[in-house]
Amino acid sequence: MSVLREMLENLLSRPITILYPKEKVPIPESFRGRVAITDDKCIGCSKCSLVCPAQVITMIDGPREVEFKGKSFARKKRPQVKLYKCIRCGICERHCPTGAIYLKHELSSSGTDREVVIT
Amino acid sequence: MTDPVFILLYIFIFPGFFFLISYALFFAYLDRKIAARMQQRVGPPIYQPLADLIKMLGKEVINPNGVDWRVFDAIPLIALAAVMTAFLYVPVLGYSPLAFQGDLVVVLYLMALPTIALFVLGWLSRNIFSAIGGIRAVTQLFIYEVPFFLALLTPAIMAGSWSITEIVVWQQHNLWIIFFQPIGFIVALIGLQAKLERTPFDIPEAETEIVAGPWTELTGRRLALMDLATDVSLVVGSALVAALFLGGPMLPWVLAPFWLNGIAGFVLFLVKTLAVLLLLSSIKVATGRIRIDQLNDIGWKYIASAAVVQVGIVLVINYLWVVP
Amino acid sequence: MPEVVVSIGPQHPALKEPVNFKIVADGEKIVRLELDLSYNHRGIEKAAEQRNFIRVLPLLERVCGICSHSHATVFSKGIEEIMGLEIPPRAQYIRTIIAELERMHSHLLWLGVAAHVIGFNTLFMWTWRDREAVQDTLEEMSGNRVHYGMNEIGGVRRDLTPAQVEAALERLPALEERIKKYVEMVNSEETMLIRFRDVGKMSREEALKYGAVGPTARASGVDYDVRRDDPYLAYAEVPWNVITDTHGDVYGRTRVRVGELWESTQIVRYCLENLPAGPIRVDAPKNAPKGEILSRYEAPRGELAHFIRTNGTDKVERVDIRTPTLANWTSVAVCLVNQNIADIPVIVAAIDPCLSCTSRMTVVNRVDKEGR
Repeated sequence: MSVLREMLENLLSRPITILYPKEKVPIPESFRGRVAITDDKCIGCSKCSLVCPAQVITMIDGPREVEFKGKSFARKKRPQVKLYKCIRCGICERHCPTGAIYLKHELSSSGTDREVVIT
Repeated sequence: MTDPVFILLYIFIFPGFFFLISYALFFAYLDRKIAARMQQRVGPPIYQPLADLIKMLGKEVINPNGVDWRVFDAIPLIALAAVMTAFLYVPVLGYSPLAFQGDLVVVLYLMALPTIALFVLGWLSRNIFSAIGGIRAVTQLFIYEVPFFLALLTPAIMAGSWSITEIVVWQQHNLWIIFFQPIGFIVALIGLQAKLERTPFDIPEAETEIVAGPWTELTGRRLALMDLATDVSLVVGSALVAALFLGGPMLPWVLAPFWLNGIAGFVLFLVKTLAVLLLLSSIKVATGRIRIDQLNDIGWKYIASAAVVQVGIVLVINYLWVVP
Repeated sequence: MPEVVVSIGPQHPALKEPVNFKIVADGEKIVRLELDLSYNHRGIEKAAEQRNFIRVLPLLERVCGICSHSHATVFSKGIEEIMGLEIPPRAQYIRTIIAELERMHSHLLWLGVAAHVIGFNTLFMWTWRDREAVQDTLEEMSGNRVHYGMNEIGGVRRDLTPAQVEAALERLPALEERIKKYVEMVNSEETMLIRFRDVGKMSREEALKYGAVGPTARASGVDYDVRRDDPYLAYAEVPWNVITDTHGDVYGRTRVRVGELWESTQIVRYCLENLPAGPIRVDAPKNAPKGEILSRYEAPRGELAHFIRTNGTDKVERVDIRTPTLANWTSVAVCLVNQNIADIPVIVAAIDPCLSCTSRMTVVNRVDKEGR
């Protein structure tokens, strides 16, 4: 009979569904969203592209003078992420020595622009 | 009352086919919405059943291999026509102008037709799931039909008439029949639920067991019409139960202008059918499906005996208390 | 009525994953059945051999969507044992919390599916609604609802902040309330009892003979749980009970699962309240020494085993995954005989099958020498 009581309670209360595109879903602080790169911090070490399980990070040309642990040197490459293949595991973020590559707190990541799918 | 224009209007516009179909779609919406809210969901928007109907009417019709397509086309039409005809004898605005002695029996048999249609459909489909579903449908028919008929015929015994309208008039002078026959009312609700193949008794179309049972091979307009037939029988069944047990669309006293009676009757019709729908939806939400052998057990052991007991009680009441 | 062959699957509304039963039925009674598995070979084991230890974990998490943490944990547990790493207690506790939350969401999901197969959609909606609380906790802790990505060789990747611990503890009482309600419903709701009682009965001897694992075996009175009998993670330190039942039917399996739901909430509560301080990982070497190990783990569905062989490189030489569903299939085939056709989905759902996880074996027909 607990079923009947709960049915009645539910009938008189509001539905619990979140109507997604109209209402926003709460995104927690620790959410693993789409990958973003702060190019200023990147030293071009290629570690992210080596650990990426889905192999979506490739190193492309991006020569620039960078500074790391007091030493300054010239980097040759910078990472590029194909977001449409990214599994958002966050391993690149975990292994990045400078915190240049990170996951944003952003739920939706679909779009038709090239910038949306390739960082 | 015998004006042919009036009769045609009654049959086709109000409260005949046009009203019936709109009301059936609204009923389907309300049924889904109540179920959804009881499960704390949002449920469909109000135009959803109509949108479904229109969409399915426009979809491609697929003929299964080796199936006689004429019969396949005809069966949903027969089912729909049967239940829509049944509605004409159920009082909506107080009286039904087409009423005659024995229309209760006609309505009951017309309402049994969709089940037979489903059985034939399942048998013709050349599909193992449909065949099993068809057999289950007809097995279930044998189980619930006897108590359902008994439960709906007891008001007739009590009122001493085979006409639904006359039973309603009898209730206008006396009390609602539900006060004399609570057991019969419950049996009628259970029987109606089984007839409409709704949740504890959706054995013939058990989705997780036999796909969709006899409905498996239905596509396009056939599916749309069959769906509509189910929705319409929900309305007809609720209206029938409301008329036979809850006093139907009639106030216990007569209002001054003649047309005011009609409006009051219509409002009563809406309120009473919706009350029956609420009960049916609650049964649907609160239960899971039972097995056909368990239904056989429960149906013959308890439901049928309850109906017979009810008939006995009514006969005793009739003997002791001579109806004025 | 003559015997009819009902072919169920690989596409069927009751089975969300590909499997095929050819059921020979006499009227509504099942006479015998043929099982056909492995429609969905995904080549995960071979792919795992080609990735190093950092890159293999996300792949193994994707063996199963529901018990993703189980596969990652059992693998890292095995590799850590080969490497001889001692995992810090905080990491052990975090892994335990995620594992038990995963068990809760899996069992709630199962309860909903079991209700759905008997057409009791209301309970299905309610359990899946309450499962959202568990999923929200998991999302808050790990950043994702399904593939948590918490494990790495040598510990866990993310630490739990005090705010996360507090939020999880805040959600627990409401969840416990709901789970209590489900325990009551399972034991008293006539519409479920009538379909679950005496359906798919399996005695203790049969369960042992056919090698059933997990809740399926425990419902038949087999008192066996890897968490207690071969303790790993923090289970040795946490007070909890193994739930067993003597009914041996689907009703018993439901009782075991709702009992485990309750135990899981208590384990999570204990772990959250007694979370030790300290580091969350140790540095793991790049290569693992040569070795072989059979790593065992109590996944929500039963005992999960990974056989791992390493050869001194940063990749495994062989990993063999034995999922609990594979161990439970034989018991289904036995349980189904002499049952009603209407009970097929109930009995199949009662072991909580996860078919695509299972589809990785080679069946060799010794008589015809044909591999498949």
